[in-house]
Amino acid sequence: MGEMDAAEFDDVVDDWFIESLKTYKDLHVYQLEHPTRVIEWTSGKTVCVAGYRSAKNELLELLLPLKLLAEENKGLCAERDFKVVHGGFAEGPVHCLRHIPGTRCAVTNDGRSSGLQVWDLGGDDSDVIRRTASVAGRSASGRGSRIAAGLSSDPRVLHGAESSDVLLTDLTSGQSVYKLKSDAADPLSSLQFVSDSVFLACCCSGNIYTVDTRASDAPRPSPPPATGGGDGVLWCADASPSSAGGAGRVARLSSSGEAVLSDLRDLGGAVSRARLDVLIDHHNWDDVKVSWAPALDDCIAASGFSGTVQIYDTSAWAAEPAAARPLFEHRGHVVSSQRADSLPVLVTSHVWHPERPRTLLSAAADGSVHVWDWVDQSAAAC
Amino acid sequence: MPEIKVTPLGAGQDVGRSCILVSIGGKNIMLDCGMHMGYNDDRRFPDFSYITQNGRLTEFLDCVIISHFHLDHCGALPYMSEMVGYDGPIYMTHPTKAICPILLEDFRKITVDKKGETNFFTSQMIKDCMKKVIPLNLHQTVQVDDELEIKAYYAGHVLGAAMVHIKVGSESVVYTGDYNMTPDRHLGAAWIDKCRPDILISESTYATTIRDSKRCRERDFLKKVHETIERGGKVLIPVFALGRAQELCILLETFWERMNLKAPIYFSTGLTEKANHYYKLFITWTNQKIRKTFVQRNMFEFKHIKAFDRSYADNPGPMVVFATPGMLHAGQSLQIFKKWAGNEKNMVIMPGYCVQGTIGHKILNGQRKLEMEGRATLDVKLQVEYMSFSAHADAKGIMQLIRMAEPRNMLLVHGEAAKMEFLKGKIEQEFNINCYMPANGETETVTTNPSVPVDISLNLLKREMALGGPLPDTKKPRTMHGTLIMKENSLRLVSPEQALKELGLNEHQLRFTCRVQLQDPHSDSDTLHRIYTHLKSVLKGYTIQHLPDSTVMVESIVIKLSSSAEDPNTKVLLLSWSYQDEDLGSFLSTLLKKGLPSGLC
Repeated sequence: MGEMDAAEFDDVVDDWFIESLKTYKDLHVYQLEHPTRVIEWTSGKTVCVAGYRSAKNELLELLLPLKLLAEENKGLCAERDFKVVHGGFAEGPVHCLRHIPGTRCAVTNDGRSSGLQVWDLGGDDSDVIRRTASVAGRSASGRGSRIAAGLSSDPRVLHGAESSDVLLTDLTSGQSVYKLKSDAADPLSSLQFVSDSVFLACCCSGNIYTVDTRASDAPRPSPPPATGGGDGVLWCADASPSSAGGAGRVARLSSSGEAVLSDLRDLGGAVSRARLDVLIDHHNWDDVKVSWAPALDDCIAASGFSGTVQIYDTSAWAAEPAAARPLFEHRGHVVSSQRADSLPVLVTSHVWHPERPRTLLSAAADGSVHVWDWVDQSAAAC
Repeated sequence: MPEIKVTPLGAGQDVGRSCILVSIGGKNIMLDCGMHMGYNDDRRFPDFSYITQNGRLTEFLDCVIISHFHLDHCGALPYMSEMVGYDGPIYMTHPTKAICPILLEDFRKITVDKKGETNFFTSQMIKDCMKKVIPLNLHQTVQVDDELEIKAYYAGHVLGAAMVHIKVGSESVVYTGDYNMTPDRHLGAAWIDKCRPDILISESTYATTIRDSKRCRERDFLKKVHETIERGGKVLIPVFALGRAQELCILLETFWERMNLKAPIYFSTGLTEKANHYYKLFITWTNQKIRKTFVQRNMFEFKHIKAFDRSYADNPGPMVVFATPGMLHAGQSLQIFKKWAGNEKNMVIMPGYCVQGTIGHKILNGQRKLEMEGRATLDVKLQVEYMSFSAHADAKGIMQLIRMAEPRNMLLVHGEAAKMEFLKGKIEQEFNINCYMPANGETETVTTNPSVPVDISLNLLKREMALGGPLPDTKKPRTMHGTLIMKENSLRLVSPEQALKELGLNEHQLRFTCRVQLQDPHSDSDTLHRIYTHLKSVLKGYTIQHLPDSTVMVESIVIKLSSSAEDPNTKVLLLSWSYQDEDLGSFLSTLLKKGLPSGLC
């Protein structure tokens, strides 16, 4: 370029940037004032995020940029920004946030006690998110509670920190309508409803309780299928929404990078496995997440091991574990990291868009939030 | 109570234009005078009837300040000054003064010549209006009159945009106009010192957004250009001479070099001349990179960007062309557009807002068939892309600005109060200041707490210190006595004696006397002693003396006793005190009138 000093624009036109022109259809990069570890859909167009500093934090409901959501005439829409449509303040950190479907209600937990805070996300007449109630937890372990929203028409929330203290609470009455009978105080990694009355309590040990709230006997946990990993391995899991004609599947992910797919009716067995291409010395198992794509067959996303989010196509996995390569890896957080020190930034959360097959949101510990629609380079049709 | 009044002109929820009235220290200032781009009738002009029902505005306004050249901030200026009538000073920065008339004339041409509207300002009115403009330099205090002073600060956003600090006496206001807190590729970020204004006035439009990164906007731009070039299409980018054009050029040059692309990029010469001319004039307003590339050197030292010749538009194959004007309403960019519109492989990228009546506006609204001169129809088959590169602060940016300026109060205009409650709460909590959000047409009155600086004489200060007690604390004010002398603009606090001396007056002493009658069977001296004992028990902590000359003194108050000749039991007390002891004196006389308690020995 002769005498012209290109340095100022080089930060833009770096390798990742060039690659991104082909690998993403849409890409939006935002910087929140404070990092979030929760991203939760509150409608098809809005998500909630919240801070996790030790004292006061903000809860924000963000409207996705119009340009991303526009179907026709996308080119004529210039709007690329998030709009803060509702906001509120929490007295402590927010480690878990769930929206109750069909309502304007959200439930949070601070990660250091078992109680829950209930919030009104606000309507058209006000942009303030207000706390309306509290729900007591059963545990005194000092561990945070996991939360799941009920799928029935009554607003209900499932919560607990360990398998011995799981409660299903009706939000209208504040009364608990179901208690999981279990003596084992197994710390939970997640809770998830798979139907109106059946939920999974996934433990960090890899055990999964399949619980039917209509049944009276105590459910027994299914341990994970034997893997190569030793003791001290932690697990997280996600159940896929039941696809038409098939039973649901559960994906489990271990802290040693093993992924196991099981049939929901046979959680002790493994349908297929793989060794994921992840770094395994991370610090916060709470932030590791695996999730099924709601609109893309057989695909899962995994994050929290590093600064990337990986998408895997599980249809290629076999019964014997083999090294799996991700179908796609979002490296945006690593590349545009705002950290002053050279430590790698960790992804704290990710979610799939409920309908758009390849659109995800991800957040990292440096406060960044990305919205990305990736291109499947392997598929001929793309 | 000292107060500052702020009124955003306009009505209802409309956010299309800026025109804010501020009354401070007896002065009236108009901040910006924008046109509402969404209306075709008189609603596009601000409603000046708030200032006066009829007649000229000159006597009601001390000055008008324009923050930058965007039409929603200056579009109604010639209407206000020439059609409504205002002959006072209009302040704006040098670049704004140079660019405003060009945009206003373009705007006028489009509205009057193309849309055939009447009740609009003329070219001559624009010229006459600009004659009233006094240009501002950054960080330079300008005295509008004896009491009102203003100062401009760098706002980023566009070339010449300023935030303005307005001061009358010890009250001040800062108006931000449009600004951005992250540096742009051709402009820096807004900056202001800790000036602690009474009110910081800002737009609320972007205060509830979180901006997508510049990198992603640029990525989208390069992706679209690249895709078009790859399929053999041509890209037209209509630009205004200044601002984004230079930035986008450097971006494309960097990209072309990196990707080893061969398609030509052209920059129309009209643009270069104007750009060079303006950037040379305003060298301090733009950043290092643009300065080096466009100002200090001829920009055609670019490897990949060449001067455009109109014949090139017919060349086959892919190319990118930057051409003026920016809204496709005339000239070279429109000519090129007409040639390229019919091919769906081509693309036009609109980098900014287009005024109603222009082709740019029509195609951005999705129109695919355009009526051209001579009733010819143009089928718009090329791809139309609207990209906004304008730099605005967002929710984070507004907090950063408040942190920088440390205002005592925040005021946000052009927002719906119901949609801003969270932001208001956030500002109030984080900074412990009030956040006001007047609706359009409503006046917000903010009470200020101006500090009045007063010089205090050393003698008086020493005397106060000698009185002892704790040192003065801003949280625990202490009352002190002195005489305030106001002469010309100075205020001095001096001791009364010094004041009298300076004024050549004699000090007068005031002494009060009072007689109290008492019935008491004792001898005069015994009664006096009883009085002494009584006072000692009531007035603990005071200096009370029983003197040998048969008087009792309470501090400096003298009490003498005598008895009536006819009746030795009727005692008469004579109390006397000076003005300084008036309170104690009154207290004593009331107390003694009640008589002596019987239990005294």
